[in-house]
Amino acid sequence: MAFVEKFSDGLNIVAEKVDENKYLNSIKTTFTIYLPFIIIGSFALLFNTILTSETTGLARIEFFSFLTGIAPAFNAINFATMNIMTLAIVFILGMTLAKRNKQNEMLCGLISLTAYVTVIPQSLTHVIEGAEEVIAGLPVGGINASGLFIGMILTILVVELFSKLISFDKLRIKMPAQVPAAIANSFNALIPMMITLLITAIGGRIFVNMTDTYINEYIYEILQAPLEGLFQNPIGIMFIVFISQLFWLLGIHGGLIVSPIRNPLAIAALAANIAAVQQGLEPTQSVTMGFWMVFVVPGGAGLTLCLIIASLISSKRKDHRAISKTALLPGLFGISEPVVFGMPLILNPTFAIPFTLASVMSTGIGLFAINIGFITPNIVDVPFGIPLGLSAFLGFGLNGVIVQLIILALGTLFYIPFVWLANRQMKMEMAK
Amino acid sequence: MRIMLACAAGMSTSILVSKMEEAAKQQGKDYKIWAIDQSLIEDELGNFDVLLLGPQVQHTKRKVTRLVGDRAPVAVIKPVDYGRGDGAAVLQFAEELIEKGE
Repeated sequence: MAFVEKFSDGLNIVAEKVDENKYLNSIKTTFTIYLPFIIIGSFALLFNTILTSETTGLARIEFFSFLTGIAPAFNAINFATMNIMTLAIVFILGMTLAKRNKQNEMLCGLISLTAYVTVIPQSLTHVIEGAEEVIAGLPVGGINASGLFIGMILTILVVELFSKLISFDKLRIKMPAQVPAAIANSFNALIPMMITLLITAIGGRIFVNMTDTYINEYIYEILQAPLEGLFQNPIGIMFIVFISQLFWLLGIHGGLIVSPIRNPLAIAALAANIAAVQQGLEPTQSVTMGFWMVFVVPGGAGLTLCLIIASLISSKRKDHRAISKTALLPGLFGISEPVVFGMPLILNPTFAIPFTLASVMSTGIGLFAINIGFITPNIVDVPFGIPLGLSAFLGFGLNGVIVQLIILALGTLFYIPFVWLANRQMKMEMAK
Repeated sequence: MRIMLACAAGMSTSILVSKMEEAAKQQGKDYKIWAIDQSLIEDELGNFDVLLLGPQVQHTKRKVTRLVGDRAPVAVIKPVDYGRGDGAAVLQFAEELIEKGE
């Protein structure tokens, strides 16, 4: 048991460290705040598919053909939520970090936003009849999901720098005592703000002069793209799912622990899929939030719904059957806690193997289904809490539902031998 | 008495909340019981008399205890009570915490 204790202490410490880390925690909070906008943005595309499209939507019926006219409105919602994502994330992260640093939140959010815009391209080159013309404007590549990592890094640096600068008394502008405090405060932030923006703007300019690329493009190439690759790689994502389940085995919310790295990458993947479809290409990024909800954790992380079904089918333990009955309905909505803590599954050696590996298996099945072309990567994201079947249908269509059902069936088969094992253990206990 | 529960998204905990409300009603007690996402605890400081954490966020207890300070007792709900949705047991647990805290 010494090993189990060490292992469980170790993971508990990791969980605590991840949670207490200011930056990881702020990133997690930031994406939690922005997630509804992602869902809305991707649902706007769903409306296009079912309403305004002349091939798949209601608009193919003559009477409803006027619906095609509102397609631009849905596209506008999508653009406004997906394509300016980094600007929004930078602003929210700046505010969240400011709260942790006990600084003015709105101010830090805005400084982060302006600082980010100082380092990205601010013009576009337009070619008309062979003549190049430079137009002022922010290219989408600088403000959409490709900027997420540089945006988060820069925001952390900017808020820390600003917090440091504003703590120096010498940088404060001395106001006569008659000046109202509010006015004095806004002036006091002026010099630190100026210094912060000078540093980012000059730093960004030096970077462009030295490397001939903008820093957002550079960080995307050397950091974000490789991480995205790793995240989309079957082994990479299965490893993340496995780690998440190890935490669950201790009763710690694994999804919460991996979310600082999972959420930015999953959201960037969705954005890439949407961009591909809008250019008339096939979406290629398999692992999105929708993929996670529909195929990694259907019926609860660790496919606990399958354990519930397996127990209802073949468990001889009254307590297991009772908890399975009460946990069934939450399980249909993806809530695993009743069975995780009620059975309980925490450090339960009998079910440890399927509980940690079932979601790894289902991840593999989902990826396989995409790989053979049975389903395509999603452009409509599915939030947590949508019931089984419907979640798969929204994200991946009818074939998605089939894949989800296959996963649940195989998951149940995976759990059944362990339910038998639990039966045998009970028998042996009683024989003693 | 104001009992606040916190978990990962406030979803599974809200199941327990309704069970606790039921138990409180049966006992003729008029309590305010609600669930939030654990990241929002800071915004609710001072609004609750006791804070119960879901066992899946047990690793945040030390941080949360520091955050809440002397304002209210903080404890992790017993996993089995949580999983089985034993509203009465958790309600009693909350009452005991408040008694001990005062």
